[in-house]
Amino acid sequence: MTLPFFPPDLFEADRDVLLKIVHEVGTDPRQKFILGDRTAALERELQSMTGAGDVIACGSGTGALTLAVHAAGIKPGDEVIVPAFCCQPVASTVANLGATPVFADADPWTMVLDPDDVERLITERTRAIMPAHVFSIMADMPRLTQIAERHELMVIEDAAVAQGAVLDDRPAGMWGDIGVFSFFQVKAFGTAGEGGVVLTDDPALARRVRMLRNHGQDGVHRFLHHEIGYNSRFDEVIAEFQLHRLPTFAERLERRAQIADYYSERFTPLRDRGVLAPPAGRNGRCYYVYSLLVERREDLRSYLTERGIGSHIYYPVPLPHQPAFAEWAPEGQVWPGAEQVSKRNLAIPIWPHMSDTDVEYVADTVCEFFD
Amino acid sequence: MTDVAQQPPAVAESDRDGVPFFTQSAQFDELWPSISSHVADVMDRGKYSHGRKVAEFEKAMAAYTGAAHAIGVNNGTDALVLLLRACGIQPGDEVVVPAFTFMASASSVALARARPVFADIDPVTYAIDPESLAKVAGSTARAVMPVHLFCQMADMDGVLGLARDRDLMVIEDSAEAIGMRWNGKHAGLLGAGGVLSFFPTKTLGAIGDAGMIITDSEEIAGQAAILRHHGRMGKTVDHIAGISNLSGVSGTNSKMDDLQAAVLLAKLGHLDEDIARRAELAAAYTERLRDIPEILRLPTVVPREAETNPVFYVYLIEVEERDALEAHLTAAGIGTEVYYPTPLHLQPCFTDLGHQEGDFPNAEAACRRTIGLPFYPDLTQAAMDRVCDTIRRFFTGRRA
Repeated sequence: MTLPFFPPDLFEADRDVLLKIVHEVGTDPRQKFILGDRTAALERELQSMTGAGDVIACGSGTGALTLAVHAAGIKPGDEVIVPAFCCQPVASTVANLGATPVFADADPWTMVLDPDDVERLITERTRAIMPAHVFSIMADMPRLTQIAERHELMVIEDAAVAQGAVLDDRPAGMWGDIGVFSFFQVKAFGTAGEGGVVLTDDPALARRVRMLRNHGQDGVHRFLHHEIGYNSRFDEVIAEFQLHRLPTFAERLERRAQIADYYSERFTPLRDRGVLAPPAGRNGRCYYVYSLLVERREDLRSYLTERGIGSHIYYPVPLPHQPAFAEWAPEGQVWPGAEQVSKRNLAIPIWPHMSDTDVEYVADTVCEFFD
Repeated sequence: MTDVAQQPPAVAESDRDGVPFFTQSAQFDELWPSISSHVADVMDRGKYSHGRKVAEFEKAMAAYTGAAHAIGVNNGTDALVLLLRACGIQPGDEVVVPAFTFMASASSVALARARPVFADIDPVTYAIDPESLAKVAGSTARAVMPVHLFCQMADMDGVLGLARDRDLMVIEDSAEAIGMRWNGKHAGLLGAGGVLSFFPTKTLGAIGDAGMIITDSEEIAGQAAILRHHGRMGKTVDHIAGISNLSGVSGTNSKMDDLQAAVLLAKLGHLDEDIARRAELAAAYTERLRDIPEILRLPTVVPREAETNPVFYVYLIEVEERDALEAHLTAAGIGTEVYYPTPLHLQPCFTDLGHQEGDFPNAEAACRRTIGLPFYPDLTQAAMDRVCDTIRRFFTGRRA
């Protein structure tokens, strides 16, 4: 049996639909390919699904985060507290504006931002906190939003990987002043290309993001540029494909969660063998990636590879230790939680079209290794 | 077999009367066998951005342009921002750009946190005027960004000469200039590097956003290639596992969609034919419009010492009563586009640079007078006649 970590056949069932959409958009008499009616329809659907005041479709998840940080008014000299264990955009979107990413440590089990470390790092130059949800777990949004409120900071919620998660009845993406989802193909609501969205209840922020995504134009006066903007727009082909995939999204999420429930049931007893499964449950969870923390990671990884099971090590080096962000890693500061999870995380396959047999095979093989 | 006479008319009455500013619908349909086979390839591979089809398209574009390196990105604007950064443009550096162009030429400079400095244009080519460049490029200027608009390149001998004298890097906004060459060198390759935009209306257009950086410099190419993918080093193209690679520089995400690369590869096979067709159409427009005295300027290709070739991306005319003509054509169902109604130095986003009306008179005049007419390889003779007759009637009516 071969179970790749990143499945190459994500949209196998939608091949005919995708071809049809490409032809339909290419020959549509309106000849409108970017930010057209299909994009607007997708924005409306996601708005009603999340309850967001506004949803703005952008070129990618990173594009969405770039616009969110810019719209939040982050300027050179400002500090934004970001996770040390995460994907690069949490730091680059801040650094590229000339502002300072301040790295806070990760919780050694849940791998998301440690709120205590966040609070310690707040200075008079701090303008925002950017919690990111990591793998299957939402950041501790109740505490982080309390901290932000107490210090009058904005919360920019990187929900790139958490679309569909709900924490205490509030959807991911809706906890911050502004939030983002990513549709990169392997994400829970991944697509056949690049795309992402910004979500916000604040009409002024929404208006600004809409202008920023299309060169600072207001959507009425073409070629009049109110502010320096970006090109971060949404393609109609992708919008139509996402509209097609939306009705079955909940089903796929549920299947992922069922697989995760089963994995966690099988792996929780391995705790005394140096294996930490993510905390079980459904509150604040989206099983985009199922990642274990394993002391004998490299051994387990080889064992799985030999048995045809793909796995992936996310972020083996915490952001402040990567050459790109060394400039923003103050000497003497340490991130023990981030360093530990960088060394131990191992993600195993959890795609929705895995069969029960596939899932059992993965679980059996992991357990076998520790026998 | 269906009786042709019993089929509904292929084109509805309203469509026959109207002329869109742009369509590629018929060509897309004609190319569908090739497009769909490229799309099937993408689905077989299962990587939908930054994948194997993008790499195939990059290779084909490097061959077409003669560039040593072609780097696919999400759009032409991103291509400019990443190219500026890859060229080493630093926050605070000054980059001279023409005042009459699409916003991206200047916003890309601002997004790289450098400072745009404006220069006036030549009234015939609408590209940067080397004399104005000489005036505005002070000792603090690091680079100049000539922009090639509509149908021909900027005076590159003039720009390159000045750049040499003033020690300026030349970074070309060649977004519109696919197929244009200067002494055999493709636009974008005369200085440090250039960009291509595959925005749908472009000479080579996708059905969504897509763009590219072209350069002969290995160093610039290497830097641009990692900047587009979060600064990640090592293998990332056609390799999803590269998402966890170590980052060497604070980059961004500007990947090209493989579906767009599939469409572009299919269309690339027709590009030279399309360019020839565009030249015929431009000549036909000129033939029909040349005797209307109110038209102040038709597209005019300036003879150069260097060997150059026009590529008609846009057919642009100048008239005094531009807004009235635009309204008249719109009322007749004819699509137009005003490239560009406001010069960059007078845009609200650049008020802090302190410019005023009169600073760049050629750019300002172009903004008052220019209008683009319907123009694409599928434009029919009948549609063109209708556009030209409508323009003629507008002026006859004004004279009466």
